[in-house]
Amino acid sequence: MKKKIVNLSLERPKLVVTLSILLAIILGAMVPQIKIDTDPENMLPPGEPARLFHSATKEKFGLHDMIVVGIIANERSNGVYNQQTLTSIHTLSKQIKKIEGVIQEDLMSLTEADNILQAGPGTIRFEWLMNTAPSTQAHVDKIQSAVNRLPMINNTMVSGDGMAAGIYIPIIEKHESYRIATEVKAIIDTLDSSDEFHITGLPIAEDTFGVEMFLQMAISAPLAGLFIFVLLWYFFRSISLITAPMLMSMIVVIATMGLLIGMGFTVHIMSSMIPIFLMPIAVVDSVHLLSEFSDNYRPGKDPKQVVREVLGHLFTPMFYTSITSALGFASLALTPIPPVQVFGLYIAFGILLAFVLTVTFIPAYITLLSPEKLAALSRVDHDQDSNGMLAKSMRWLGDRSLASPKLLISLTVLILAVSIWGISFIKVNDNPVQWFSKDHPIQVADKVLNKHFAGTYNAFIVLTKSEGDEKEQFFNAFTQVLSSEHTNKEFAHTLERVLQKSAAHPSFINTLEDILNQLDERSFNATDGQLVVIDALMTLTESTASAEKYFQNPDALRYIEGLQLALLESGHVGKSSAMTDIVKTVHRELRGGNETHFTIPESSNAVAQVLLSYLGSHRPNDLYHMVTPDYRSASIWLQLKSGDNVDMQNVTAFVDEYIAAHPLPKGVQLDWAGLTYINVIWQDAMVKGMIGSLISAFVAVFIVMIILFRSISFGLIAMIPLTITITAIYGVIGFIGKNYDMPVAILSSLTLGLSVDFAIHFLQRSRTLFEETGSIHETLSLMYEDPARAISRNAIVVAIGFTPLLFAPLTPYVTVGAFLATIMALSCLVTLLVLPAVLSLGSSYLFKPSPNNQGEHE
Amino acid sequence: MNRIILSLLFLLPSSAFSADLTDVDHIVDRAIKAAFYAGEDGRAVTRMTIVDKQGRKQLRQFTILRHDVEDGGKQKFLVYFTRPSDVKKTMFLVHKHPGKTDDRWLYLPELDLVKRIAAGDDRTSFVGSNFFYEDVSGRDSSADTHELIQTSDTFYVVKNTPKDPSSVEFSQYTVWIDKDTFIPMKTEYKDEDGTLYRRVETMEVKEISGFNTATKMKVSNLRNNSYTLNEMRFIKYNLGIPESIFAERSLRSPPIKWLKNR
Repeated sequence: MKKKIVNLSLERPKLVVTLSILLAIILGAMVPQIKIDTDPENMLPPGEPARLFHSATKEKFGLHDMIVVGIIANERSNGVYNQQTLTSIHTLSKQIKKIEGVIQEDLMSLTEADNILQAGPGTIRFEWLMNTAPSTQAHVDKIQSAVNRLPMINNTMVSGDGMAAGIYIPIIEKHESYRIATEVKAIIDTLDSSDEFHITGLPIAEDTFGVEMFLQMAISAPLAGLFIFVLLWYFFRSISLITAPMLMSMIVVIATMGLLIGMGFTVHIMSSMIPIFLMPIAVVDSVHLLSEFSDNYRPGKDPKQVVREVLGHLFTPMFYTSITSALGFASLALTPIPPVQVFGLYIAFGILLAFVLTVTFIPAYITLLSPEKLAALSRVDHDQDSNGMLAKSMRWLGDRSLASPKLLISLTVLILAVSIWGISFIKVNDNPVQWFSKDHPIQVADKVLNKHFAGTYNAFIVLTKSEGDEKEQFFNAFTQVLSSEHTNKEFAHTLERVLQKSAAHPSFINTLEDILNQLDERSFNATDGQLVVIDALMTLTESTASAEKYFQNPDALRYIEGLQLALLESGHVGKSSAMTDIVKTVHRELRGGNETHFTIPESSNAVAQVLLSYLGSHRPNDLYHMVTPDYRSASIWLQLKSGDNVDMQNVTAFVDEYIAAHPLPKGVQLDWAGLTYINVIWQDAMVKGMIGSLISAFVAVFIVMIILFRSISFGLIAMIPLTITITAIYGVIGFIGKNYDMPVAILSSLTLGLSVDFAIHFLQRSRTLFEETGSIHETLSLMYEDPARAISRNAIVVAIGFTPLLFAPLTPYVTVGAFLATIMALSCLVTLLVLPAVLSLGSSYLFKPSPNNQGEHE
Repeated sequence: MNRIILSLLFLLPSSAFSADLTDVDHIVDRAIKAAFYAGEDGRAVTRMTIVDKQGRKQLRQFTILRHDVEDGGKQKFLVYFTRPSDVKKTMFLVHKHPGKTDDRWLYLPELDLVKRIAAGDDRTSFVGSNFFYEDVSGRDSSADTHELIQTSDTFYVVKNTPKDPSSVEFSQYTVWIDKDTFIPMKTEYKDEDGTLYRRVETMEVKEISGFNTATKMKVSNLRNNSYTLNEMRFIKYNLGIPESIFAERSLRSPPIKWLKNR
């Protein structure tokens, strides 16, 4: 099989090269259809219950994604309460309303808010809080005192310290936020203001992230290519030769991305890293191939024959290293995070494609090179290679390893133990806003606004009263009233039909209203006897309907109030808003404005009447962001100062404790929504998923190793470098307090797939050399020559290939870049230090001079 | 020849015979009287269905009593809620004075509170519906300038521009007034950018006691597709409702006699 492939490439080189390039062109044609996806919600599969609930909540309460504009009046003693700042807010808000894509009616700003206040004895007044820009200090003072009395506005639209004001811009489409923000900026620029303006909000963060992701792919990937090119040139000094792996890695990247896009997947933060991952990994195998080819080729030799010889003993290790790397990445498919799955599977595809091209495209390309070019290649001074810096340091390493293997292994065990201790400190935490570097305007705005305001991160507690047997009870009671009507069977029958027909309504409250309408209708032509029945039924239906509106019940509202108070006192949230705030504010004003009446009224009817008064304001619909029109479900909006999921988890943990101590009212269910909460869900899923994916990849690679080496002991030894590297890396992460976030999570698969490569090459070559020399000592010394150099070159190529990530403006890329270099160095070092020590200590058991070890490399 | 002219005349719509009005103020005046001042007084039961953008319905039902102090001028209203039952007996008392904001009182039976409501303007929601107070009691015609922009076979189309744009959320509105009944059949509101965002429609007109009456009206918010439907029934005119009941004391002790529909 492998001979056939090699022969095809050597005999029909033009066909192979053409086919490879054609593959890149066809799949590359898909690339322009690219769709960027930066929505953190997509970290969860579309059908994930938490995500479905989040979407349902947004729909149910009419909540939208919001852009937040913060106005900071730093230089002023009275904060934003001055004519100039308020005028700016007025102008800005009025202009923002005109921007296409902004949901005007839900815009939250001082200019759009309604004020309720005392206007003389026995008189309350509803008026726009700031319909016109204040032209006098008196007007400014009036606004200030009004804001302080309105809990829905205070610390949301003006910060608690009065130093900042906020405008919350709900938008129709998230992906338009960048354009809308640009238009807002343009308006800000026209303002005559000495205040500081910040624009932030999750949609902005996402959209900006998408833009930067594009830049990332357009800059980092070619830069990585350039670095690798220079490095290869340093190793081989032949442009025509190294063009082969460069061309191949480009084909791999283009084909993989083309396939991904062509299959209809969106490019997410994870998949945007595919090119830069594939580029170095793809060329690694060909580095081995070209190394050996340039070592063995001399003018006059048949290049095809040299390629055959080199591939003869490289095919198997290359095949296995590719399989294991692919397995490491493919294991990411076991995580429940779709973008991570896509990332893992497509990298795996790219790695396998790279392998196929390494054994077909590269040989074919070499065959096509002119004899002159090949002659030039052989003029490279090979002696320099074996006496260079790299060679010397390898030999030095070898001396250290072989001098005191026992000490080395004890040291390794110690490091392992310490690392495991370090792992226990790992903190799972992520926050999409933190994906930006510290000085990015979005991070700056985030910091400044959260310093002044109750918080720019949103979460929602949703309380829902479940349908019990009220409907059944009502139907029974209704039929019972009818059965007492003996005089007119036909009349009773008609009313029975009314009941049955109305039952078809989706919500019980609509059923009841329909019944009321029909009863009402019939009452006008009813006889006095019938009227008695109708009145009884109407009373029954009305009282049922009233009771159905659960969140008008003072007990229910007091539960919400208690929870809000506890949350505020806990310090975990900056502020919470719920319908209780509206009810209490309006109740206070109706009662004369005294703080002692800032309470929930005593009966459901009183609550209903207070709310009816509120509904006569300019913005009645604000109520329905907090309770559904049927009063069966209420929301509590929580503002958090941090979007870190550890902070969100503190909130959910606190609420869990609260519920345990103060049980929810009967039939009421508590759920969570909001993006800050969604982040917790997917990160939790990610951690659990990564453990599963790591274990399965570990097992799979172990099995592949046993198959490769036909020996359990060698299989185990091959797992040593990656085990030490993964443990050490996560140990370090635990110790330095770096958050375990998405990029850190994928590092384990990356390490698993890449560091096993070194072990494969090392063990494979050790066995071959042992067969040739018959002496373990000689074998290991020889290992520090050619093989050690190939392995370290390999490590250098990958590490250097990832360095452009270090200059990325987005921190996830930087994290991956920095850790990758460390991982490469560490696993290379472990392979070259620990493996020889293990081999020499266990040589009597591992290396039996028997013919069993032969014939594996076919 | 005569026969031809005669048959031609026969084919022409009847309205062609009555001369079109050209004085816009006169048209507006007649429209307001037709819509809000039928008879000396009146009573109607209104069922209001509020449908939000998700199609969720809420229902309110109330009885309106009206007394005209002067035709086309001052008016008094009592609004008595019957449903939902949790707001039963809640009442509004409105004294309308064209030229300035209405006087409004609110009675909340469960809190046993009478409050005067001094709204900054009359364009606040009427009990959470898409109707504004002003849609219920009628907008003061002198607050706008009027322009007859079209006279079709069936409608006088009048464009209205507010004299004080800062007091309202619209920049202009256009009314389609039926040429026969003078009932405004459609009103469309445009915002500052000229975008149509709100529509009030008369869905049904019935002749009651000789008065053409809009018995079904719909207000639509075109920005979010929510709407409110008003259906009026048991309409009676010239009942002889005394002006004296349109006073604060009626809030706590409703004038049952006048509120009864039968």
